[in-house]
Amino acid sequence: MLIVISITIYGFSSIDSLIVIPLGWGKPNYDFTKNPLNKETVALGRKIFYDPILSRDSTISCSSCHLSYTAFTHVDHDLSHGINGKIGTRNAPALMNLAWSKSFMWDGAVNHLDMQALAPISHPAEMGNDIENIVAQLQHSASYPNLFKAAFGDTVINGARILKAIAQFELTLISANSKYDQVMRKEPGVHFSTQEENGLLIFRKSCASCHTEPLFTNQQFANNGLAMDTFLKDIGRMKITQNAQDSLCFKIPTLRNIEYSFPYMHDGRFKKLSDVLKHYTSDIQQSSTLSRQLQQPIILSSDQKVDLVAFLLTLTDKSFLYNPIFAYPQK
Amino acid sequence: MQATTVRFQPYWITQKLKLDTNIITNNTSVLEISKFRCYISNIAFKKNNVVVWQEPNSYHLIDANDTSSYSIKLNMPATLIFDQIHFNIGIDSTTNVSGAMGGDLDPTKGMYWAWNSGYINFKLEGSSPLCTTHNKRFQYHIGGFSIPFNTLQQVDLPVHHTTNINIAIQLDQMVAQIDLEHQNSIMQPGRAAVEFSKKIAGIFRIKL
Repeated sequence: MLIVISITIYGFSSIDSLIVIPLGWGKPNYDFTKNPLNKETVALGRKIFYDPILSRDSTISCSSCHLSYTAFTHVDHDLSHGINGKIGTRNAPALMNLAWSKSFMWDGAVNHLDMQALAPISHPAEMGNDIENIVAQLQHSASYPNLFKAAFGDTVINGARILKAIAQFELTLISANSKYDQVMRKEPGVHFSTQEENGLLIFRKSCASCHTEPLFTNQQFANNGLAMDTFLKDIGRMKITQNAQDSLCFKIPTLRNIEYSFPYMHDGRFKKLSDVLKHYTSDIQQSSTLSRQLQQPIILSSDQKVDLVAFLLTLTDKSFLYNPIFAYPQK
Repeated sequence: MQATTVRFQPYWITQKLKLDTNIITNNTSVLEISKFRCYISNIAFKKNNVVVWQEPNSYHLIDANDTSSYSIKLNMPATLIFDQIHFNIGIDSTTNVSGAMGGDLDPTKGMYWAWNSGYINFKLEGSSPLCTTHNKRFQYHIGGFSIPFNTLQQVDLPVHHTTNINIAIQLDQMVAQIDLEHQNSIMQPGRAAVEFSKKIAGIFRIKL
């Protein structure tokens, strides 16, 4: 029954039997043929995602910084803390619609969803662990060998299987049922208010070239005119490419579920959407790598700002945020 | 089909590499190698510069901690006629962007960068009195597959039709080309890694 409803709402997908591709979203970037989803592996990935066994001292799980109820971001934390109270340098990004992502992390350091988990696992200010150690711990646990057998056919636990399982769970985190989506699908009885409608027009004129529908990101990197934090001194993507043109460029994040994914920006410097709009309308810092789209000032009246925020709130997808199959797995 | 064994043996001049052992170098100083690993991939055989056979799914980690990794068995047609062996040192760019893989490519092998996705193609660590670093260590983790910092190296060596092919990896020749005093650490993709990588192919030689 659920499947039938999904098909009528979202359209049919032949990409993977467990993934429903929302209409008009295009083909995912993730190659499902190399890691076809199955229920057991998704369940295993979900268990690992919520298991602090991943961290050196068994205190931090993926969900410590990626809470399902806040679009898998670290609510109310500008910078996230890892083992031994260490503080990282960037804001934990929201996790959703990752099958369409072409790169991962604020600077695009990771080129494939499978490999993303290695970054927080090994970072000394996050989980401070290494994948070899995790393989050994899972091998010696009471429950994991059988779960790997259910997922992969035998009890072998290796790095690739752990990473593929986590990726499978993450691939299921699709948010495509916000009010915006329902209006776009012309679902009966769902309409934008006048404010939201105005906000959409402002959005399409001033924001959409980077935060492109339907993913609300064009997947590129850009310098959005933030002054460099003098303590963090984060040069963004240039650290990865060593190309001066990438200085201060960061991944353009999705705006889906933005109501819940505060604080905002790569270092979480803005607590409120009104702070974000103030930045884009009056605080842009000129520099040689400033995004082309921000070279001309964005001018919005206070009414227009209210309308734009009203539209952004239509990107909230409560059926995603409160979906029990994404939450902590109850025994 | 016939099993041909290609054996990659790291040497210091004429001596087989022993880890964590003093080596008297040319300039009478003492050097130790504590870690040596590299990827050999895409093994193929050529006749008159044309590929006549290539190993499917050809990815091999050579690790001085595990000398059994030195020998690679190839199941190739017994009648094959060739005059060259071809292989890459490192992992090709497609594999670098293809997600998690098992076997020798498993990220538990200590040859994958978590914070700048990609395989480490060649890893050499040790100590030398020439290094002014902590414990006089040198560490070269050579990788990177994106243009302009691609470090993959291709090697072609002349071989006769034989069931055993011995290839020496002359680590002394690598160290001889490094300025241990001024460049004792390369740990990320970039210009230095590319320059280093260009010297790697030449240290692979047929051992008769």
